[in-house]
Amino acid sequence: MKFVDEFRDAELARGVAARIAALADPDRHYKIMEVCGGHTHTIYRYGVHDHLPANVELVHGPGCPVCVIPMGRVDDGIAIAEREGVIFTCFGDMMRVPGGRGTLLEAKSRGADVRMVYSPLDALRLAREHPDREVVFFAIGFETTAPSTALTLQRAREERLTNFSVMCNHVTIIPAIKAILDSPDLRLDAFVGPGHVSTVIGCRPYEFIARDHHKPLVCAGFEPLDLLQAVQMIMEQLASGRAEVENQYSRVVRWDGNPMALAAMADTMTLRPHFEWRGLGFIPQSALRLSDRYADFDAEARFSTPGVRVADPKSCQCGEVLKGVLKPWECKVFGTACTPETPIGTCMVSSEGACAAAYNFGRLARERMPVPS
Amino acid sequence: MNEGSLEGAVCEMHDGCLTCGDVAVELTVVAVDGADARCRADTGEEETVAVGLVGPVEPGARLLVHAGVAIERVGDR
Repeated sequence: MKFVDEFRDAELARGVAARIAALADPDRHYKIMEVCGGHTHTIYRYGVHDHLPANVELVHGPGCPVCVIPMGRVDDGIAIAEREGVIFTCFGDMMRVPGGRGTLLEAKSRGADVRMVYSPLDALRLAREHPDREVVFFAIGFETTAPSTALTLQRAREERLTNFSVMCNHVTIIPAIKAILDSPDLRLDAFVGPGHVSTVIGCRPYEFIARDHHKPLVCAGFEPLDLLQAVQMIMEQLASGRAEVENQYSRVVRWDGNPMALAAMADTMTLRPHFEWRGLGFIPQSALRLSDRYADFDAEARFSTPGVRVADPKSCQCGEVLKGVLKPWECKVFGTACTPETPIGTCMVSSEGACAAAYNFGRLARERMPVPS
Repeated sequence: MNEGSLEGAVCEMHDGCLTCGDVAVELTVVAVDGADARCRADTGEEETVAVGLVGPVEPGARLLVHAGVAIERVGDR
């Protein structure tokens, strides 16, 4: 565990925290957004907030791929899952995301053959094992996960499997960041860049944030010290008036990403003209569909789906939470009607969702806004 | 993979969701078998990983693995 221990060293953390405190101007309030659900999870799990001055605020962005799936897409998945002869596969968290017609887990309880897989390659194995069934993989995730789907599609094609298809919901991070930067609701000073997305796409795609918006972005790893060091690097930039893209996670992230993963994605997928993000609405060229070359594996072409847009429950404020406008505990139903056991909004489903992370790691007691007497 | 039960359908709260989020694990290659490699975690668990996106690997190499697929080598730089 030597590798992990180095990034959880309390003494080192205290030193970095002291440096951050020294860099913070007491007359200024800093808002730094982490756009990655994995970072949100680390922040709450290790109490990274506790090591920052009160005027350095971490704001949680739309980086949980489960959280940004709109309800209509869940309903489309359920429609496919309920077809005769279909084995519908998805990652575990996706099974509990509510759509307009309930969850995939509820569809399973009604008799649909919905199965949880760890990897799209597990779905491919199911297709090999059940040649008489149609096996569909519900693909979600940012650029971290899209290469796994791409590699699986390439293997399916090599093996000439005709009973395997993918319902592609992969999204891309850059358009989401652009949408946040264009949002009038939010004033941000800097970004912590998503470490594992950056493993695939590299740091170069973020350069417009520094160049055009004059905001620093630091790609960071997922250990507590990774995040603290990234915040320190951001504070160093802000203190000296710089706005640059920097790479704290250099033990994994290359400036130009992983060219083999990018090539596999380019082979199998192409940008959709637009895609709906929960809380952010329709964002142009922000998601992927299967390329024409892989059209035979496209579940949306193989099966008819309702394709109906479903409005979020009125009580749910996931949209504001995803944009960082509201803290999770400022949502009207947080911790009351909406809990990890009975989620209303997607942010409460995945442990990387801001609401579930806040609920499970007990930060609400310290951070909840005072209740008027 | 878990076909019958719902075990695992709720994300493991202490380790995060390894599959659908931006979370990956570092594993060490134990043996290579064509386009796959047997890899071991620091905690001792082993799994088969597709290595087609990181080029040729050899036993001892450290890989960043997401959803059963290696997406990068660790510490090459």
